[in-house]
Amino acid sequence: MIAEVAWLCFLFPFAGALLSPVLARIHPKLRDYGALFFSFLAAVCSLSFIPYLFNTSRLPIESAFVWLSQPIELKVGVLIDPVSIVMANVVAVISFIIMVYSLGYMRGSPSLTRWWMWMNMFIGSMLLLVLSNNLLFLFIGWKMVGLCSWGLIGFYQKDEKEYWIGGPPPTKYCAPSHAGLKALVVTSTGDVLMLGGILMMYFYSGTLNILELYETSPVWVPEMAKSSGMILLATVLFLAGPIGKSAQFPFHEWLPEAMTGPAPVSALIHAATMVKSGVYLIARFIPIFYYGYWVAGVGEASYFFIIIAWVGVITAFLAATQGMVALELKKALAFSTVSQIGYMMLALGVAGLTVSSLEGGFTSGMFHLVNHALFKACLFLCAGSVIHTAHSIYMNDMGAIRKYMPFTGIFMFIASLSLMGVPPLPGFWSKDAILLSCLETYNYPLFVLALITVVLTSFYTARFIGMIFYGRESENIKHLKQKGAHLGEAHRAMVVACGVLAVIIVVLGIFGLSLEHLLGEVFGYTLEQLHLPVEAVEHSMPHLLVPILSVISVGIGIVPAYLIYFSGKINPEGIVEKHAVMKVLHKFFWNRWYIDSFYYMFFVGGITRVYTFVPRYIEEPLDKVFHVILPSIPGRLSDLVKHTQLERGLLVSNLIYVLLFYIFVLLLILVVVMT
Amino acid sequence: MIPYILLQIVVMPVIVSMFIFLMRYKIGKKAGWIAGITLLYTTALLCIVGIKVYQGEIISEEYLSFPMVNLHLLADGLSIPTALIMNLCCVVLAFYSIHYVEHRIEVIYGEVDKKTWLMYYTRFFILFSFFSTGFMGIAFSTNLITMYFFMELLTIIPLYFIMAQFGYSDFIERYKVALMCLFWGIAGATFFLIGVLLAYTQIGSFEISDLHALSGNPLVTWIILCMLLGLFSKLAIFPLHVWMPWVHAEHPTCIAGLLAVYANIAAYVLVRVIILPLYDDFKVFSIPIMVLALITMIYGSLLAMAQTDVKRFAACSTISQISYSVLGVGALTICGIEGGLFFFLSHIMGKTILFSTAGILVYTTGIRDMRQMGGLASKMPITAILWIMGAMMLSGLPPFSTFTAEWIMFTGVFQAGLQGSSTALIVAILAVSAVALTIAYTFWSVKRIFFGPLNPNLPNDNTRDPPALMWIPLILLAVVSIILGLYPKPMMDLFSLVTGGI
Repeated sequence: MIAEVAWLCFLFPFAGALLSPVLARIHPKLRDYGALFFSFLAAVCSLSFIPYLFNTSRLPIESAFVWLSQPIELKVGVLIDPVSIVMANVVAVISFIIMVYSLGYMRGSPSLTRWWMWMNMFIGSMLLLVLSNNLLFLFIGWKMVGLCSWGLIGFYQKDEKEYWIGGPPPTKYCAPSHAGLKALVVTSTGDVLMLGGILMMYFYSGTLNILELYETSPVWVPEMAKSSGMILLATVLFLAGPIGKSAQFPFHEWLPEAMTGPAPVSALIHAATMVKSGVYLIARFIPIFYYGYWVAGVGEASYFFIIIAWVGVITAFLAATQGMVALELKKALAFSTVSQIGYMMLALGVAGLTVSSLEGGFTSGMFHLVNHALFKACLFLCAGSVIHTAHSIYMNDMGAIRKYMPFTGIFMFIASLSLMGVPPLPGFWSKDAILLSCLETYNYPLFVLALITVVLTSFYTARFIGMIFYGRESENIKHLKQKGAHLGEAHRAMVVACGVLAVIIVVLGIFGLSLEHLLGEVFGYTLEQLHLPVEAVEHSMPHLLVPILSVISVGIGIVPAYLIYFSGKINPEGIVEKHAVMKVLHKFFWNRWYIDSFYYMFFVGGITRVYTFVPRYIEEPLDKVFHVILPSIPGRLSDLVKHTQLERGLLVSNLIYVLLFYIFVLLLILVVVMT
Repeated sequence: MIPYILLQIVVMPVIVSMFIFLMRYKIGKKAGWIAGITLLYTTALLCIVGIKVYQGEIISEEYLSFPMVNLHLLADGLSIPTALIMNLCCVVLAFYSIHYVEHRIEVIYGEVDKKTWLMYYTRFFILFSFFSTGFMGIAFSTNLITMYFFMELLTIIPLYFIMAQFGYSDFIERYKVALMCLFWGIAGATFFLIGVLLAYTQIGSFEISDLHALSGNPLVTWIILCMLLGLFSKLAIFPLHVWMPWVHAEHPTCIAGLLAVYANIAAYVLVRVIILPLYDDFKVFSIPIMVLALITMIYGSLLAMAQTDVKRFAACSTISQISYSVLGVGALTICGIEGGLFFFLSHIMGKTILFSTAGILVYTTGIRDMRQMGGLASKMPITAILWIMGAMMLSGLPPFSTFTAEWIMFTGVFQAGLQGSSTALIVAILAVSAVALTIAYTFWSVKRIFFGPLNPNLPNDNTRDPPALMWIPLILLAVVSIILGLYPKPMMDLFSLVTGGI
């Protein structure tokens, strides 16, 4: 029964997407609420899995049908296990709240049918991705998610100037259609490489079913390890997919530009769908590589963990530094997402660095995913309302608007406390768990970088809260007030959606510790079922060391931010102007470590150069050979023959012919005599 | 069972075309409908045959049995799906042409009296029907000479004459390009014929089923090489691709989709004539073919990026896409061959949609230069959807069948790579990465043509979606592709009936 619900869970949103144009014909209201209803159904379906989390012995549940029997046998279907239950709930529930919000946000937009279609398709694809029991359907969902993000990031396809992001000049602007294309191309590059990795593993394992991959890993992982370098190659190819989708270094540059979409899209991409898929996929593959490294003793398998741990921590740090200087509200949040996903990757990476960190790393990574989904959705939705009211994407055009938007202010404040990791909000628990599992691997560089990032995170979080809701009122707000613009809370659907998220955050925070235990238990149980050596977590570190360090780091970050952006005692521009180092750093961070410009120069510029080179220096000469030179040969031959006609009476040519004839005859005689 | 069912499928279009010719002034504008409905009828026959074959029957019919040459038709798991999809593309384009040809005649010949107009209009459909006959003939024939005959028939009658009379550019240029197309077609077919004749000197038969006797023959490498050369020039494998941008760009867009079929059908011939009978002797060619396919893939993509003309753009993408199927077939694993053929069929559906949409753009705006387009999505939403669907089909995005085909095909390519030499593995990895280029150029074209602000250069008044008869067939074809993509089992089961023995 529950398996059928799982099928319905992802089919409902797809049905909603297909029905939208039909319903639109009947009545626009019907279309809006119809779309909402289908995503509601998906949320209900996913909620019905939750009881199974408390009854893990009945998991995993699978239901599949034969999709292909020749030339390869493929059974496809759904898989319900703790990981997919948690993911499906994150996706479906948060997406539904975002859909409610967009009812208010997108009110009056001319292309609402398209909007609802893409949104429902996005949700459906993501649910397909997380509920699939095999890599093929997972990959279908994966690709569809990429496509939907393209459609939604570039939703304002007419590229009106008001939807551009970037700037202010001299920094370049980016139009929605450009941002959509960028996201699609970057993530797809990762996807196709990942396809290569999957197919390499398929060759050795002979199955695409996730559970079978686990079961047969004692056979195929050692088999694959026989040809040296093969696992490493497959790992690198495979990881390109999740790293691209989850916007991790070096594929992270598409996400900041993805802010051109409407606010609900940003919330959806960052909180519930898209970027979470990479983390999910890595979590899915951890048992295989863990088995390979720690049980089968395949050394190459360790690269999987080393790569994601380092990619994660580098991304976390790099994006946090950029978040500190961002001026656009949504971009600051985007950098924060990149950075937070980095934390999740770090957690999943450290899961395999020592033999005992599997459960801790796995659980903390997934727990952070849940928490991040909640607070980031709330932050983005609030940001949407704020931008809506302030009529500007820049934070320095806001300031002191808490008196106009008290509710939004409170909700956003709660969410950002969770992002900073202030106890007892959920962000604190999961960040703490990540730091702990990181420290327990005794990999100090990873730990120190992660801890520094906590400082940076609390600084930039406090910064944007201060710049929006506190500090001095900006010129822009004053100007709006003079014009008599409506400065106040947004549409009630929007406020309610943000409020619900904030309440969930608070509740989860209160029960944070027990939730972490529950997750630890169910994931531990699942991992044990796979015959992986899950050891009871023994905390070798002093119990309170990590929480204390983490709270102190948060404090270190908040204090300067408070002085600058809340009380206004220090002028930020003054600091940057006065100190040369600060100036250089600011410029470096503002230009995103010059990575984006390097990519544009190297990849876009490089391919542009190649594709202008190809027609000119290869195609045209080839064309000439085939269509000018070759066809001219018969003509030239006949010219030549005409030229050498005997009747012309040229003595020289006649003599040559005579000579040639004699040589020929002589040779003939010679040959005859010889034989 | 319907009598002479395969013969009907092959010959019916020509008979109807003769009928249209004789009655041209009477039926006039109904010619398009008649041609389309005939093709629908043969498609229905194909479905019937398909079901029989799926149930395990092999249907063969024998006509004109001369000592060396005959017209024996064979429908098995390989020929039926191929023929069905090709015929489907013909049907779609026949209906699409009904409006399009009107527009072409108006553009080329201007104001003419009614009789002349009818003469031109019916002439198109008279010629058009030969496409179906040619494709079906190649798919079903069991005799190499017959196959060669149908190849030449395709090149000479529909391609040359339609191109010369309804193509783009001015009069001289049009005939020149048509002649170019004719020469390339004949040259390719001639190389193929040389191979066939060489084979005849060894085995004394023109039957495909006798070709396996060549196995181990000292001449077999040369025979394969000759045939390959001929097929490669049809498949537009680098460096024999130079005709493709010209020919595709100047053809009337309503048959451009069939041009992709015309080029890509050689992949079917490759499997049927060379790989299946001479699998072991063909193995030496595997790596070179894969390398060539990889080069063509990347080269075609780069060439497509450099284009500004929508029709040339689609042509260059054909160069790149065809070599995907060649790559799969060249890998010589079951998955590779079946995936490669499936990709061929998926690709022709995608290309039919994309090319025809390019035609719609030319039809409504009269512009071919992408730089002068932009922002058309708001004025032509349906066209935009069609183009995006075409782009998705080319880049192998689900739920379209290209995705499934690509998956199966790359499974085979990676199998070849991991079993065989490291060269094959490198080719496999590079090839799978090259898909990113396809995504880049197809979706870049979406942005250039349809997104952004409306280009002021566009004629303002009459830019809107085309008449329903032009887009509904294309949407239906996309639906077929989606169905095959979501449930490829019937198609793959059919293929496996024949290729499963490898």
